[in-house]
Amino acid sequence: MTALRLAICVLLALVVQVTVFVDFRVYGVAPELLVLVAVIFGYLSGPQTGSTAAFVIGLLWDLYLPTPLGLAAVVFAVVAYGVASVRELLNETMPQFVVIVAFGTFGAIAGYALLGEVMGQRGLVNIEMLRVALVAALLNAVAAPFVRPLVGVAMHAGAQVNK
Amino acid sequence: MAQRKRRVRNRLILLTLLAVTLLTADLRGFDTVNRAQSFLRDVLHPINSAASNIFEPVGDVWNSLFSYGDLENENVALRAELAALRGAGLRAEGDSAAYQDLLNALDLTYAPNIETVTARVERGSVGNFASDVVTINKGQRDGIEAGMAVVTKAGLVGRVQQVDGVTATVQLLSDPNLVVGVRLVSTNNVGLGHALAGGVNLFVINQGPNWPTVDDVGEFPEINSAVVTDADSRYTADVPIGRVIEVRPASDELSLEVVVELANDIEDLSFVSILLTEQTNEPTAPQLVPSTSIPLDIDPNLISPDEVVPPEVP
Repeated sequence: MTALRLAICVLLALVVQVTVFVDFRVYGVAPELLVLVAVIFGYLSGPQTGSTAAFVIGLLWDLYLPTPLGLAAVVFAVVAYGVASVRELLNETMPQFVVIVAFGTFGAIAGYALLGEVMGQRGLVNIEMLRVALVAALLNAVAAPFVRPLVGVAMHAGAQVNK
Repeated sequence: MAQRKRRVRNRLILLTLLAVTLLTADLRGFDTVNRAQSFLRDVLHPINSAASNIFEPVGDVWNSLFSYGDLENENVALRAELAALRGAGLRAEGDSAAYQDLLNALDLTYAPNIETVTARVERGSVGNFASDVVTINKGQRDGIEAGMAVVTKAGLVGRVQQVDGVTATVQLLSDPNLVVGVRLVSTNNVGLGHALAGGVNLFVINQGPNWPTVDDVGEFPEINSAVVTDADSRYTADVPIGRVIEVRPASDELSLEVVVELANDIEDLSFVSILLTEQTNEPTAPQLVPSTSIPLDIDPNLISPDEVVPPEVP
């Protein structure tokens, strides 16, 4: 049942990303909803389950990206692992959560661009990439407190955060 | 605790290896991976399509709220265009024969006997890193294959990049990585061109067989003259690309660079046609080809920058 809830949650995020966020852009940058869900998975469920879930989310996102299959998957898994590891070192508060999401999103976008460039995808690493990563990180940070309860419900984990 | 950490690390290593396997398989064009991706996209297509219908008004509201200035400018431009068309309409009857003559003179036999499929643009680029692609609502079932030319009445729009059962992804002409073999109608010179990075609807041609240097003044194309696809390119011959707006020296200061304004407004597409022609080899990335004269029959992928002999300075 939990797996089904998680699948629906990820599918919903994917559908919103490829429909709403095609037009909904701030300064030309769309929020990275799948990165956000992957980061929250990592944050809530720890490095082992989080990185696996993030890998699957990345794999799904790879279907729609022009880059080779597996690129987003490996980046998402590593970022989710990093987020989960950092979380274990910190007390859980909402501001910390938001900052971790912002850094996680920035890391995922920068990592995706860097690895993509290494894999032969041209024009991913430039000043524009920095702008995209910064704006997307801010957008995800704003959206994080609203998305977290949904992911929490899907995982059947407590979505409560110590304020 | 240590055992748990080891387990987590092993899991991450396993996932990384799995990703590397997938990346390798995809980069080597392993057909099963491509088919699996295509199948999954087809499975998800009805959900995305339904959601798109539901959420489309949200996007429209967002655009109307935050792109009001752009819409106003577009409105002014459209009004001016309408006024011009009213005037042109009066002359249309007389001009049609002249127009036909012009087409004949320029030899613009624009795909008259080629079967086409008309498709609707379903959505623009998803994510933040693929700005020069659109998805259309026709795919393999309609006879579309990767590499086919995508056009509108105005001219070339791009090429089919990836085909699923019911949809296809089109790489737009605005992507600097898409190289097209073109012919300058006023001089009959043939060259390789690609979109100008960062330029809106601009296309640049700076290499080709017997490509003129800055000293070949007689070989300069006329401003406003047409640029069409070349017969030796991967696309049907004489599909319009745009009009020459500038002729300048290339960055090496030796060869000529021709700047073309694209005939199509690539950023505002609703419907396109796909020319159902047999496909030849894939194109070459422009970054691999230095700005020198390279015959079109040589695959620039096979040429490393070290092997290219710079053109002789006259």
